[in-house]
Amino acid sequence: MKPMIHVENLVKTFKGNVQAVKGVSFDVEEGEFFSFLGPNGAGKSTTIQMITTLLKPTSGRAEIAGFDVMNEPEQIRRVIGVALQETGIDPQLTARELLEIQGKLFGFQSSMARKRADELLELVGLTEDAHRKCGKYSGGMRRRLDLALTLVQRPKVLFLDEPTTGLDPYNRKLIWEEIRSLNKEKGTTIFLTTQYLEEADELADRISIINEGKIVASGTQENLKASIGKDVIDLVFTTEEEAMRASALLARLAGDEKHTGPDLRLFVEKGTAKLPEIIRLLDQESITPTTLNVSPPSLDDVFLNLTGHSIQTEKLKREESYA
Amino acid sequence: MKIFVKHTLLFTKRSLLNTIRNPFAFIPNMVISLFFLFVYQAGLSGIAKLPAFGGASYLAFILPVSIVSGAIGGAGGAGQSLITDLENGYFSRLLLTPASRLTIVLGPIIAGMLQLLVQTILIMLIGFIMGLKVVTGFSGVVVVLLLAVGWGLAFAGYSVGFALRTKNAQAAQAGTFIFFPLIFLSTTFVPYDLIEAGWLKAAAVINPTTYVFEGMRAVMINGWGESDIWKAFIVIILLCVATISFAAVSARQAVSRG
Repeated sequence: MKPMIHVENLVKTFKGNVQAVKGVSFDVEEGEFFSFLGPNGAGKSTTIQMITTLLKPTSGRAEIAGFDVMNEPEQIRRVIGVALQETGIDPQLTARELLEIQGKLFGFQSSMARKRADELLELVGLTEDAHRKCGKYSGGMRRRLDLALTLVQRPKVLFLDEPTTGLDPYNRKLIWEEIRSLNKEKGTTIFLTTQYLEEADELADRISIINEGKIVASGTQENLKASIGKDVIDLVFTTEEEAMRASALLARLAGDEKHTGPDLRLFVEKGTAKLPEIIRLLDQESITPTTLNVSPPSLDDVFLNLTGHSIQTEKLKREESYA
Repeated sequence: MKIFVKHTLLFTKRSLLNTIRNPFAFIPNMVISLFFLFVYQAGLSGIAKLPAFGGASYLAFILPVSIVSGAIGGAGGAGQSLITDLENGYFSRLLLTPASRLTIVLGPIIAGMLQLLVQTILIMLIGFIMGLKVVTGFSGVVVVLLLAVGWGLAFAGYSVGFALRTKNAQAAQAGTFIFFPLIFLSTTFVPYDLIEAGWLKAAAVINPTTYVFEGMRAVMINGWGESDIWKAFIVIILLCVATISFAAVSARQAVSRG
């Protein structure tokens, strides 16, 4: 069977020769929950805009439900729902008005559009605010309305570009529950982009890690984590000096290591099996860690391993440079 | 075709709701138009005694200035509302529906025309209260309204095209500054023969607004059979073709940007 989304060597070069997407290929099966994980500026939004007919690709191909993005944009717009990073609402209108307009644009009769608006208002918990101008809504309410607007025509494929960026934990959980149930209960294929590791980890069936316009790894969470082939051992010492001495002592055991202040993180193959040796080595030098923890690698570790920097620090760096 | 009309009506209704809920978008424009009418009539009407006016009432002479300035403001609102849509992301949401691109742009333009029509009728009513006489009667009033809407449509095409091209509220605002040369580098206050400076005479000949002013004045003051009337319609039709093509091309580029 053909995949629901098929993307082949998609490239986007903006004016001034800025290459935002440098040849991206992937497939998403029907009913799958797929996620693009990457920092700001990785090319996530540009890719979504190309696949959803909003932006012309410089080269490459993309198909959704068998329709070609370049030649059959109209057919594609009937099967997809898209929530872009920026919400798309008219602040002078009420939630109900926006939902009814959206329904009518997709060919619903008035009564049908009204009924669908009722259902969706209920779904995203905006029934009581339906008659208020949405310009007066909070950020979380806007996001929920935006999601409702993308669902009006019951899309087969849902594109969500960073749907929870800037949201408080309460609203983030609400959105998570809604999109998870769309995927699990309605069988909607979902393509979600995010810069939050937990979000991809929690929701997606499969993840592609994207960095600087290229996919650097793809697979299930387990596959990606296993691909590192190492466990993470975190040690905390009382002083930085101790951490440095420990780092020197344990260097030959660990493939990779990082220490910040009194914290030491080691990437070790078969971490649990090596614990006795680690403790013995430290004991010989009379260094006692205050905390010791072995865990499988996180997606951040995967990202770090692939790109040489953490997705978290990458984000902070960017925020600083904007400040 | 049926869907096209349906979507256009839907978008027009949406734009009208927007206008009604945000009266500050049109009240200042209306106030400025009436201000022109009152102040110029009060301050300048004495000059209508000059022979170059041929005995015309100054009220009928200055009324087109008020109407055209109102029309420009009303039509400029169409571009402004598209900018607002672009900025709040609603434009992208509409691009993702099956609606044709043309209907998305037509909605605010038609709403702008309706707003302008109501404004022009109000200005004319106030003119009548002030003692305005139109020699061609009711059909003359209809022609003046048609000229106002036509001129508005031409300007709406310009403002929409400009908005889609710049996608930026400040730049679009700057685009409306063309209002000043359009209104004032013309036979705004006195007939062509009374304009002193050679450069202003030259500007008045090039400025399409001049033909709209003269067309409206001919209908109200001199009656049918004046070449100024059909000249005004020709200028407006040519301008509409130019600016609406500009808007259509800009709309296509706004979609496939980058």
